Amino acid sequence: MSSTTWIERKRHGLLRLVRTAMAMLVVVVVGFAAPGAGAMTESEAGARAVIAETVEQVLAVLRDKSTPTEDRIRSLEQIVYGRFDLYVMSRLVLARNWKRFSETQKAEYVEEFKRYLTNSYGSRIERYDQQEVNIIGEREEPRGDVVIQTKIVGGEFEGALVDYRLRKENGDWRVIDVVIEGISMVSNYRDQFKSIVSSGGPELLLEKLREKNAAGMVVDEASAQ
Amino acid sequence: MRPCGGDPAPRTRIAVLSVIAAALTAGISCAPIAGPRDPSDPWERMNRGIFRFNEGLDRWVVEPAAKGMDFVLPDPVERAIGKFFDNSSIPIHFANALLQFKPVSAVEDLARFAINSSIGIAGFFDPASHLGLEAHREDFGQTLGVWGVPPGPYLVLPVFGPSNPRDTVGLVADSFSTVYPWFVPIYVPYAIWTGRMLNWRSLNLDEIAAEREAALDYYVAVRNAYMSYRENQVRDQEEDEADEDELYYLD
Repeated sequence: MSSTTWIERKRHGLLRLVRTAMAMLVVVVVGFAAPGAGAMTESEAGARAVIAETVEQVLAVLRDKSTPTEDRIRSLEQIVYGRFDLYVMSRLVLARNWKRFSETQKAEYVEEFKRYLTNSYGSRIERYDQQEVNIIGEREEPRGDVVIQTKIVGGEFEGALVDYRLRKENGDWRVIDVVIEGISMVSNYRDQFKSIVSSGGPELLLEKLREKNAAGMVVDEASAQ
Repeated sequence: MRPCGGDPAPRTRIAVLSVIAAALTAGISCAPIAGPRDPSDPWERMNRGIFRFNEGLDRWVVEPAAKGMDFVLPDPVERAIGKFFDNSSIPIHFANALLQFKPVSAVEDLARFAINSSIGIAGFFDPASHLGLEAHREDFGQTLGVWGVPPGPYLVLPVFGPSNPRDTVGLVADSFSTVYPWFVPIYVPYAIWTGRMLNWRSLNLDEIAAEREAALDYYVAVRNAYMSYRENQVRDQEEDEADEDELYYLD
C-alpha cells in the first residue's frame, strides 16, 4: 500500500514537469494574492509585475472562446515569445556544449528549440483553462535574478507549485526558466540534450529536433481540423 | 505502527525484496558502458534495460488496462478513488513527519486523516484541503534524506520504476509499516496496490502519452525529473546556491 503511495508520488513529479510547461502557456488566472506589503525589493516588484501581466494576457486569450483554437495558439506564442528569453534559455540548456556549435548551428538550434517548445505544449490549450494562478512569493537571488513563486489553484493540478525565474536584459525582465515542484525545464532539457550531443554531436541534436518539429506540425494540423 | 524488525515478513514483502535484490545485484555485476556518462547514473546501461522493460509492461499491460478503466469510470469517480487511497496512506506520512521532527506537519496530517475519514466519507472526498489543511507527503526515503543519508546513484526498479538506493530502503520500510497486510491474505495488498496504480495510471493517460511523445530522450527526462523532484522534497524548497550557479550562469 505504502509502496503505491510512493510510486505515485514519484510519477507525480514527472507529471508536474509536463504540467508546468503547460501552465507556462496555458494557465487561466483568476485571483492574485495581494502584493506583499513593503518587504519587496525593486527587482522583485518589477519581475512580479511582468508575471502578473503575462498571466492576465494569457487568461484573456484563453477566455476568448469565440476565436479559433489555431489563432489562440498563435496569440499565446506571441505572448510567450515576448516574455521568455528563449535565446538565454536555449544557451543555458546547452551549457558547455554551446561552444561545440558553429554560428549557423547555433542559429538553427535556437529556432528549432523554440518551435519544439511551442509544438510540445501549445496544442493542448483546450484542456487547461479551468485553473487559476496565485503569486505566492518572490525572491531575489544573489546575482540579481528574481524568482516568482506561483501556485495553481483549482482544476486537476490543484496545489502545484510553479516558480518562474526572471533575468533583467536591457531593462526588461524576462523568464529564463520554469521550475515545477523542483523540476527545472532548463535542467531537464540540459540533461536530455547533453546525452544526445555527447553521443552524436550538435548535428544529431539538430536532426532530432527537426524530426520532432516535423512530426509536431502534422499533429497540429490534424488537431486543428 | 508495527516495528519492522522481529516478526517474519509476509510473503508479499519477500517477493518485493527479492525483485529489488535482483535489480541491485544486476547493477553491481554490470560492466561500465563506453563513452561519456552522467556521473549521477553509473548504472545507466542496466537502468535503461529495466526502464525498457517497465515501458513494455506499461504499453502492453498497464496502459491498456488503465484505458479500460478510464472508459468505464468517469474522471470524478477516479479522482475520488485516488483521494481514498491518498487518505489511507496518511498514517505513514504522519509517522515520517514525526521522524523528521516536523510536529506541525504531523498534527496537520492527523487532522486531515480525522476529517477526511469522517466528513470526507472514508477519504473519498477531501474537505480538509478546503479548510486549509495541506497534505504533507513525507515518506521514509525523505526521512533518511533529512537525516543526512545521500540518495546514491539513480536506480530504476522493475515494476516500481525510478528510484535510488536510499529511496528503495524507504520504500521497503514504508511498506513494512503499513499495518493491515499483516492480518489479511497475501493477495489483498497486491490487489490494492494494483488497483491504486491502475487508477492513477488511468487519470494520467494523456499526460504520460504527451510527455513520451515530446521528450527527445524519455529515459533522461524521467531521470532528471525524478532526481530533482526527490531532492526538492527532501530540501522542502530550500535553495541550494551552488547548484543554482551551475545551472544559470555559464561563466
